[in-house]
Amino acid sequence: MSRERVVGIVGNDVPRQLVVAAGAIPFRITGSWRGRIDPAASRLLGAVDAPVARILTDLTAGRVECDALIVCADSQAHVRLFYALRATAPHLPLHLLDLPRAESIPARRFAGVQLESLMAFLAEVTGRPADISSLTAAAQAERELGRAIGRLRDRRRAVPPRCTGAAALEAMIAASQLPSHAAVARVDRAGSDVAGTVLRVHVTGSGHPDADLYRVLDQQGCVVVSEDHDTGDAAWLGAAADGADVDAVLRGLLDQHFARVGGSPTASSAERARFTRDVVVRSGAELVVGVVRDLDEAPAWDLADQAALLAEIEVPLRVRTRVLPGEEIEAVRDVVGATPEGAVSA
Amino acid sequence: MSAPVVVPERLPSAAAATAYQREWFGRLAQRVRGGEALALANADAPHEVLRALDVPYVVNQWWSSIISAKRAGPASLGAVAAAGLPDYSRQYDVLPLGAQDLPGQDAPWGGLPAPRFAIAERGGDVTHKIFERWGRRPGTETFLLSRTAADPAPEGWWDLVAHRWEEVFGASRIDLLHGEIDDLIAWLEARLGRRMDRARLTEVMALANEQAEWNRRTRDLLASARPLPVPVTDIIPSVMVPQWHRGTRWAVEAARHLHDDVAHRIDEGAAVAPGERRRLMWIGRGLWSDLDMYRSFQEEFDAVFVWSMYLAIAADGYARYGEDPVRALAARFVGLTDLLYVPPMSSSWYVKEAVAHGVDGVVHLVADDTPGGALISAALEERGIPVLEIRGSNADIGASASVRERIAAFLRDRVPANA
Repeated sequence: MSRERVVGIVGNDVPRQLVVAAGAIPFRITGSWRGRIDPAASRLLGAVDAPVARILTDLTAGRVECDALIVCADSQAHVRLFYALRATAPHLPLHLLDLPRAESIPARRFAGVQLESLMAFLAEVTGRPADISSLTAAAQAERELGRAIGRLRDRRRAVPPRCTGAAALEAMIAASQLPSHAAVARVDRAGSDVAGTVLRVHVTGSGHPDADLYRVLDQQGCVVVSEDHDTGDAAWLGAAADGADVDAVLRGLLDQHFARVGGSPTASSAERARFTRDVVVRSGAELVVGVVRDLDEAPAWDLADQAALLAEIEVPLRVRTRVLPGEEIEAVRDVVGATPEGAVSA
Repeated sequence: MSAPVVVPERLPSAAAATAYQREWFGRLAQRVRGGEALALANADAPHEVLRALDVPYVVNQWWSSIISAKRAGPASLGAVAAAGLPDYSRQYDVLPLGAQDLPGQDAPWGGLPAPRFAIAERGGDVTHKIFERWGRRPGTETFLLSRTAADPAPEGWWDLVAHRWEEVFGASRIDLLHGEIDDLIAWLEARLGRRMDRARLTEVMALANEQAEWNRRTRDLLASARPLPVPVTDIIPSVMVPQWHRGTRWAVEAARHLHDDVAHRIDEGAAVAPGERRRLMWIGRGLWSDLDMYRSFQEEFDAVFVWSMYLAIAADGYARYGEDPVRALAARFVGLTDLLYVPPMSSSWYVKEAVAHGVDGVVHLVADDTPGGALISAALEERGIPVLEIRGSNADIGASASVRERIAAFLRDRVPANA
């Protein structure tokens, strides 16, 4: 029996249900906070967010094992990565998923074509075109993952929390790289005792490709109970749609795509700020912190709106912007350390 | 020793275009004061719709260049920062937003009247957020269009794109923008209380195509002319001011005027640098803050910049013929930026242009917000054309001194003089 194909995914727009239904294992590639960036990768990509340059570094060095790669056009850095790979990696089966964010009749039509094209690509990679039967089975498996993510979210938001932020983020990133059943087990394993006295923190700003900065926050006497970036709470994990036929499933997935709040590069600042505030209210975070990397410009545009809405609920926001590679740890220590005690709401 | 450099007087079409924009802006401000709705449109938005609806409009990037030229950039960025926004991000696109908060006496030309509409494509991660801010200003509403990612265009797209644009960009991408332009038209009509006349849009498209054809002829003249008869610093305003008035008879006449000026200069044997021995290409946005730079290598190196993207893309990138004016308009903008920046479309085009213009070396300004720079440089180098890459923003005035030094070293080390 041939092994299952592994399909690498860069970005947060791919419905895993479609990958699983085609008989492949979805494997999210996020890059990392730290690590070497190959000068050749940097030169090919130009001025891009560092984790994306590390993704290209790792792909070029063969450190990521995947049979094919899907890149989402959910940030300009990802689009550049796609263009660079298209020009330099002709043997890698490569696909761009370009889903518009704002819903309209033409946008929905274009997005439908994009999902059909994604299915055709996956069928070519695995030799197993998804049908309604495999889509239904994949939907069940993904929903199980969604429920596991929900249970994890409950543990994080409990008082006191029953899982550290680092453990939760590690589990969610790992889940995005596993078949559905293994992902459920991985997420359900995430749990740890957290003292009731620690500061409950929500993380905003740039996305977190790994849990390095969460661990620093843990060490600083915080627990990350929620976040609004796309490898954590906002990761598109567990999404699934049913239908009488393939078209109906795709329509259901598009409903969900257009209903969710996109990442900062695609969503409006107003939407992002409301999203941050709403999650903070639900998680009971006492402080919002963020590290915005240099060359990851979009989150910096959201800060004014986020600050205004968080002020209304009296939750302080502490952010460092234009953080250069190598400065991340110091930056996150700074934002927590800079918090005046009296500014933290009870 | 080189012959003395002859600097001909400014090209009449350049002087006329520059003078026209001030006069036009005055008339526009008067119309808006009289109650007409003004639109602020990003450079890659479908302006032709506004033209067909007779909505006066200002192009964001053009206004930015005026703000920069009038030294109001720092104050404008200060206003951006005061609003809690990142004044270091997309400075060239955000200057007009900041300038709206300047006191009237500090704003260029009395300031931009408050726009009723702000229209942009979702290019990059931030443009939509800048225009979101515009939409929050009193009396202004924002409309955003999608920007899709680029599929590779067929080789030699420049010979196809005017007529066979469905092949070049693909029906699906054009369908999306076509639908969104229809939505934009309906959105504008609802607010203006008047309907767009499709025949008028057809006429606007025809005028824009006529303008593009004149630009193509001018580019072809300059490609084959030896020595360079007109400085690139005259060509840029002669092309770009009319570009922002695309779809008008004035713009067609301005493009024709430029063509005739260039032809006349060639006929009279004019030379920017009579001892021309190195022909250079400038890839990327113009260094508006230091236009003298383009002419500063003539004496020491007999080097002239013979090419900038502004005329070349106006020549090859804009013409779109088709029965349905909205679809042809969608085809104009769906991939215009791809042609400039995304390999292999961009790289093959720059090579074609470099060869046609007899370029000996390329200075490539790679901005933070443009993809594909390294691949464009590599394609030129593979053709034996040396490239100097400069990374930075054209708005960064501090770069100019070091830029000159680097170009000088590049010319000395990598661009041999022709006999």
